[in-house]
Amino acid sequence: MKTKKVWIPIFLAPAVILFLLIYAVPLVMVFVTSLCEYRLSSDHMQFIGLQNYITLFHDANFRQALANTVIWILIHCTVHVGLGVFIALILYKKPRGWKFVRTAYMVPSIISNAAMATIFVNIFNPQFGVVNSILTKLGLENLTHNWLMETSTAFPSVTMIWTLFAGYTTTLVLAEALTVNESVIEAARVDGASNFQIDVLIMLPLLRKIIGTTMVMAATYMLQMFDLIYITTNGGPGRATTNLPLLLYGTFMSENNYGYANTIGVMIIVLGTIAMVIINKTLKVGQEDY
Amino acid sequence: MNRTWGQLTNRGRLLMILKYIFLALCVIVALFPIVWVVMSSFKTNAEILTDGISLPTSFKFTGYEQAIAISPILKYFVNSVIISSVATVANVLFLAMAAYVFARCQFRGKNILFWLLSLSMVVPMTALLNPVYLVINNLGLTDTKTGLILVYTALNLPMSLLILRSTFLSIPRSLEEAAYVDGAGFVRTFFQIMLPCAKGGLASAAVLAFLNNWNEFTFALILTSGQDARTLPLSLSYFTSQFSFNYTAMFAAITIAVIPSIVIFALFQEQVVSSLTAGAVKE
Repeated sequence: MKTKKVWIPIFLAPAVILFLLIYAVPLVMVFVTSLCEYRLSSDHMQFIGLQNYITLFHDANFRQALANTVIWILIHCTVHVGLGVFIALILYKKPRGWKFVRTAYMVPSIISNAAMATIFVNIFNPQFGVVNSILTKLGLENLTHNWLMETSTAFPSVTMIWTLFAGYTTTLVLAEALTVNESVIEAARVDGASNFQIDVLIMLPLLRKIIGTTMVMAATYMLQMFDLIYITTNGGPGRATTNLPLLLYGTFMSENNYGYANTIGVMIIVLGTIAMVIINKTLKVGQEDY
Repeated sequence: MNRTWGQLTNRGRLLMILKYIFLALCVIVALFPIVWVVMSSFKTNAEILTDGISLPTSFKFTGYEQAIAISPILKYFVNSVIISSVATVANVLFLAMAAYVFARCQFRGKNILFWLLSLSMVVPMTALLNPVYLVINNLGLTDTKTGLILVYTALNLPMSLLILRSTFLSIPRSLEEAAYVDGAGFVRTFFQIMLPCAKGGLASAAVLAFLNNWNEFTFALILTSGQDARTLPLSLSYFTSQFSFNYTAMFAAITIAVIPSIVIFALFQEQVVSSLTAGAVKE
């Protein structure tokens, strides 16, 4: 068994190196450079304390991006997760065709966001898009819009692209719901509980943890949302659909202002931590079931 | 658990009908966009422009021929295959090695190291766009397949680690002990006994990693610029801007990009579901 000790670091090395290169070092860099004046042009960093953060909070672009991000997180954690849980609560009773529904509903979630975005650019196309085609056929021409380009419709239109497709949530909650001991449900039924009461009073509390997990996933997903917005509206019109990752991308790639971009990065990390703590507290994810 | 139609009250019947209408709607909402795209890829430009939701009049592959002729989509497709596959294999191999050590060996700092590695699950990666770019740039790997492979191998680190560790924990120890008694070394035991036993977990981790790699957009966008390393998702944005008037070709390009994901999902559905659940439960 002496040789075994030698192999431990060798077996761990690739994973640890990957972790250091892509997670640990970048994390440290984000925090350090957020305290610096650091641009591509100047090439050297200069410590400026919290100046980037002060500028950030007076930056109207940042405030709008922050507000959009928070609104999207809230919508995603409630409407999107709610929809996914609702569908899972129908499917766990195994109605006819439930497996097909589960599979079909997953499809939009497993194709690339770039493809989804390009598809929706076309669905919302003012000329031949599905939405306007249907409205025209119904004789509702006055309701047609250039959905992704008009200030009033861009935000809700973009939101639709990810809100309706809750395949991951449904799959995860359903998998958990199917493990619930059927005798628990039978006992409730014998006691005269209706299907609705069983779902709300028994299943939801039992599924609390997995719902919490899907909410954390939903929050993280929205916090990192980039590709769907970048391809559909690129944050516009104006900054109507700009979120924090888009603002960070623009600051980093167009303005080459690395220090300031990483200050936005720190805000993304802070926001993610806050969201996680709130969700865990509200759903008491850490507590054991009785 | 399901009562038959005859046993239901009128209210029960109404609810049942509503339930099936709702489920049908879910299926339509989920599949319609893709069906529409595939359908449109067989229409001519004129047909698309006159009526967006009409059926195609003929099934010609001209859209696909044009997409391949006017854009480097084939090149990007090959890049995607190479980058996604190599990153998936590297990820599953490296993380299987690490997961095995975490599942079976005792060493100082083990818990802290495991906690740190799984912490990477909750790091919002868009926050790290700039430093990851700088790291890859300093390694001289911007605009190379190797650079993207390195990043993709790391992006799937936490999920694979969790899936594979629980896989190894579920394999009985007696198997390896028998191997050691027979005189097999640590490395041989791992590759010849443990990896074959962990097939299920390896497949789950690999399918999920591959789908993630195949679909990744953001890092591909910032880390590549030329045709040698750009991937399929990027070719789509290229399409909407460069060939914005050849809609048939664009719909063909979208179809080319989504078909592999759908085929992989159709083939490995159970693995996708089990890997998602494994990753989520352990969080």
